[in-house]
Amino acid sequence: MRRKQKNIIVVTLAVLIAILFLLPLVWMIFTSFKTLSESMSSSAILPKVWTLQNYINIFSPTSDAPILLWVFNTAVITIIGTVLVVAIDILAAYSLARLQVPGKKIIIGTIIFALTVPGIVTLFPAFYMFKSFNLLDTFIPLVLPYTASTMGVFLIYNFLISFPKDLEEAAYLDGASQMQILRHVIFPAIKPVAVTLGVITFMGIYNDYLWPSLVINSNEMKTMTLGIATLIQGSNFVNPAGMMAATVVATIPAIVVFLVANKYFVKSVTNSGIK
Amino acid sequence: MHKGTSTKTWAFLMVSPFILCFILFWLAPMLLGVWVSLHNWNLSSGNNGFIGLQNYVDILTPGSLYNEAFMLALKNTLVFVVISVPPLVIIALGLALILDHLPAKLKPVFRTIYFVSYSISVTAVSAIFLWLFNENGGFINNLLVSMGILGKPINWLSEQPYAWVSVLIATVWWTIGFNMMLFINALDEVDPSLYEAADLDGANGFKKFIYITLPQIKHVAFFIIIMTVIASFNLYGQSRLITAGGPEQSTTTLTMSIQNTVFSMNQLGVGSSMAILMGIIMLLVTAAQYFMSYRKKEVN
Repeated sequence: MRRKQKNIIVVTLAVLIAILFLLPLVWMIFTSFKTLSESMSSSAILPKVWTLQNYINIFSPTSDAPILLWVFNTAVITIIGTVLVVAIDILAAYSLARLQVPGKKIIIGTIIFALTVPGIVTLFPAFYMFKSFNLLDTFIPLVLPYTASTMGVFLIYNFLISFPKDLEEAAYLDGASQMQILRHVIFPAIKPVAVTLGVITFMGIYNDYLWPSLVINSNEMKTMTLGIATLIQGSNFVNPAGMMAATVVATIPAIVVFLVANKYFVKSVTNSGIK
Repeated sequence: MHKGTSTKTWAFLMVSPFILCFILFWLAPMLLGVWVSLHNWNLSSGNNGFIGLQNYVDILTPGSLYNEAFMLALKNTLVFVVISVPPLVIIALGLALILDHLPAKLKPVFRTIYFVSYSISVTAVSAIFLWLFNENGGFINNLLVSMGILGKPINWLSEQPYAWVSVLIATVWWTIGFNMMLFINALDEVDPSLYEAADLDGANGFKKFIYITLPQIKHVAFFIIIMTVIASFNLYGQSRLITAGGPEQSTTTLTMSIQNTVFSMNQLGVGSSMAILMGIIMLLVTAAQYFMSYRKKEVN
């Protein structure tokens, strides 16, 4: 009996907090369907008059916010970036954990040192490098710098050194090649960690703001995240309904990816660096 | 082929893409940053000569232009660290405890709801809270005025302390799910037999929390505090977009100040020195926290 009462209290509390957490998102979605004047004056969540005009405006070819292009840019750089980072990190972590890499100790020491250095230290010099090589406003600085992240190598390396070697040794004795071992023994074992790294990397690139704001200038090269920032800072954009329509377009893909990858994401957060 | 190519060659081939990327996009910028910080280096005209530690001296000498900008930004950043870390840690722990006591079927649902905002970009979060808190036409003012709670709208975004409140609420909403997940994991790791023993001794929920849960999760809690301090030190997007660094630069953070120095004042050298100083301060704060907890561990 007492247990049941306690359950009801906890569930009620959880529901109230859930409402608080969802309210900004619900407000965002409903506001995107309000008319401009209603979005400025309304004190209700639901629109009195529903309109698709905000979405028609942002998707119109004459809009100064080329949202479809931003979505396309974001898709290109997040997909290429994530694949690159995961592939590079798996190969590096595997060779460091299992093979005779020359200077292994120095490499691992440097990786750990790099993990402790705050990102701000390399941010502006990296910008200056890309500027000197005339690579600003291209996809190159939007993708390649993420490959220097040491977190992924460290994550997979840590996993591999605590993963038993028996299976690999057996495969070796059976005459399997290095590549066969990697494909049939190592890949299946590290799949959860690799997916985890993929999700973290995807979210990181998708949501990055400061770095893209330094290296991208032209409207056509912007990512969705950067585009939203431009809309916020644009002096004539005093239109909550239009703003929220753009925000919905920027937010829904991230939430969908998040919900699909939720299981792995939960694991990734709980595994990252704690143990 | 598997006998033809030696293991060492494979090892070298596999590790080299990462090493190359690391050198190009981390090591080179890192060294360049240190090098630039020792020069009078303009963003547009480039290197104007070696000046040793002069940039650092300028930033640290009271009264200079750069010193004022850096110190104000440092103060603002520390204010945000102080006001944001306690709620980001304590509320996260509270959420994890609530989830822990929910019936098993409901756990994943609420965990996802509390965590989903973390997947949204900082610019989208800023757009939402900018229009929730906006003085004219913002939803919260509309609501409070129409309910008669406020006589006239509050200037949430350009008056203190409301500006910090707005940035803080947006930050808590955006990032708290991450800390909560770490706490959930820590709570899952606590040995259930400890609670069973406490039950036999007739301990109540509060006592179990103080004497079992807290000591068992203190290492994770410490890790979360450090991560949160670092994240709060890096405050940028929310204050740039929600309050635009104002009012009167009171929400201009270190990152924003360095960016202004590099881009508006054209001083890449001074900006690089500021970035390195900010990095050193962050490392010192982290190290201090680490040693404090380490010493406590020794005493216990």
